[in-house]
Amino acid sequence: MSTTFWVWFGIAIYIAVGLAIAVMARRGLGAGMSEFFLANRKVGGFVSALTYSATTYSAFMMIGLAGLTYLSGVGALGFELTYLCGMFMMVFFLPRFWLVGRKYGYVSPMELLSDRYQSKGVGATAAILALVFLVPYSAVQLMGVGYLVNGISQGAIPVVAGIIIAVFCAIAWSNIAGLRSVAWTDAFQALIMIGTSAAVLGFVVALLGGFGSFFGKLESAAPGLLTVPTAKGAWNINMFIGLALPWLFFLISNPQVSQRLFIPKSVTAMKQMVGGFLIFGFIYTLISVLWGFSTTLLVPGLEKPDLATPTLLALPIIPMGLAIIVMIGITAAAISTIDSILLTLSSVWARDIQKGLINPKVSEAGELRVGQWVIPIMAIIAFVFAWWAAGKTGLAFMIAPLSSAASAGLLMAVPTIFGAFFWKRATASGAMVSCIVGAIVVLLFQLTGWKPLGWWPGTWGFIVCVILFIGVSLATKPPQERAEEFIGYLKEKLAEGKFI
Amino acid sequence: MGKTGWAWTWFGFLLALDIAIPWFVLAHVEKMSGAFLFWTIWVVVAIISAFVIFLKWKEARQ
Repeated sequence: MSTTFWVWFGIAIYIAVGLAIAVMARRGLGAGMSEFFLANRKVGGFVSALTYSATTYSAFMMIGLAGLTYLSGVGALGFELTYLCGMFMMVFFLPRFWLVGRKYGYVSPMELLSDRYQSKGVGATAAILALVFLVPYSAVQLMGVGYLVNGISQGAIPVVAGIIIAVFCAIAWSNIAGLRSVAWTDAFQALIMIGTSAAVLGFVVALLGGFGSFFGKLESAAPGLLTVPTAKGAWNINMFIGLALPWLFFLISNPQVSQRLFIPKSVTAMKQMVGGFLIFGFIYTLISVLWGFSTTLLVPGLEKPDLATPTLLALPIIPMGLAIIVMIGITAAAISTIDSILLTLSSVWARDIQKGLINPKVSEAGELRVGQWVIPIMAIIAFVFAWWAAGKTGLAFMIAPLSSAASAGLLMAVPTIFGAFFWKRATASGAMVSCIVGAIVVLLFQLTGWKPLGWWPGTWGFIVCVILFIGVSLATKPPQERAEEFIGYLKEKLAEGKFI
Repeated sequence: MGKTGWAWTWFGFLLALDIAIPWFVLAHVEKMSGAFLFWTIWVVVAIISAFVIFLKWKEARQ
């Protein structure tokens, strides 16, 4: 039987198992927004860790990061590990989000901002930022699946078919039981992701004669890829900061992951979530980068680096069964991210736009209905973007830079989030002005390709954003009573739980 | 300085190393024992630091 048949067969099995898990997760699903979008804040530590891992790590890793490593070497490792180092900030933000989420019943991170700043406008601004910038990020997940099935089937399955499969699964898994189905399918997918990627890396490293021989070959074949900047000039400091800065604050800037900070059922579950994720992230990052380096040795000279993984998997030296299992692992990584994004965006639309701005009197059931309608609409928008971007070439349309560019826009909410937890003097005007102007700067610089002083759009946007946030906050009146109550509550509870 | 302040300072120090060592100390080491090894050890240190802090957390009354 042909490779194409086995690719379809593998995908069919994956979808069937995923659907079965999602349907099982529906049992016991209660009513209401908190139930649908947060699984009633009762998720155990193991599932929390796996859903956080699967949501965070996407097609970006084994395709985008591997492609970036293929093109530009060890700087890609530093870039991705800077993100993981940024997870140190979990020790500050996880307990804070979790405590206020329980106390005040927030469903989305934007609702937290609206309440803390006593302004629906702040939540709506952050919501619009997420709706705009998460579209390209969702689209790169779809592109990843499209490239993969196209590459492994050696062109027999078109890119768009892979994109459609990913859209279908993401819509289904986020709609069947909300966070319950997403978290359970995420847990299943996270295990597939790490298991399959470790297996294929082990196989390829064995082909190259073991780690010692692999490293030796890499040092002699591509020594220029082992330094920053590389011999060809990639990864100068400006590029590194431009790409890594949005990644560093990913845990609070991306609502699909910060919303996860509301869900652990206890402090023990929180500890398991953060510990499990850090270990998962470390292993998965090393696997992805080493995989990228192995493609450098085995399939040199590719025009489109994002095709390095699919090209290597399609080589006759990789057993077809293993290639298909890995394809499913990467597809799982992509879909587990996009379904979480869709779910978060739908909660943000329902709670922060629909209820916050358009119809404050809407019932909880009405809110939920709106949220469920938003899921397919956002999926279709991401689909159109992915289809368009998949036909483009160049660094800006590679998966890793495109993902980081999306996060550069979301980065503009970071000062507002810091202010909410750490600065009583922060104001709604400061938050809104900094988010809006910062995002405009990022968009303008990204669209024009302008990099004054060589600094990237996210860097400029962040500088402008921080200055405006502080300046406008100092010039306007803070919601003093709310700030005292909110930060005062946290101070008391943080001390009680030995949090810092 | 309180514990929170020390934790932020430590985090800032780690970020400073993130740039300083690979670009200014290891820029000419074209081996896996250069930037690759540095970043791997560096992030392990960051992860252990996080573990040291969060393992002390205990259940708080709601």
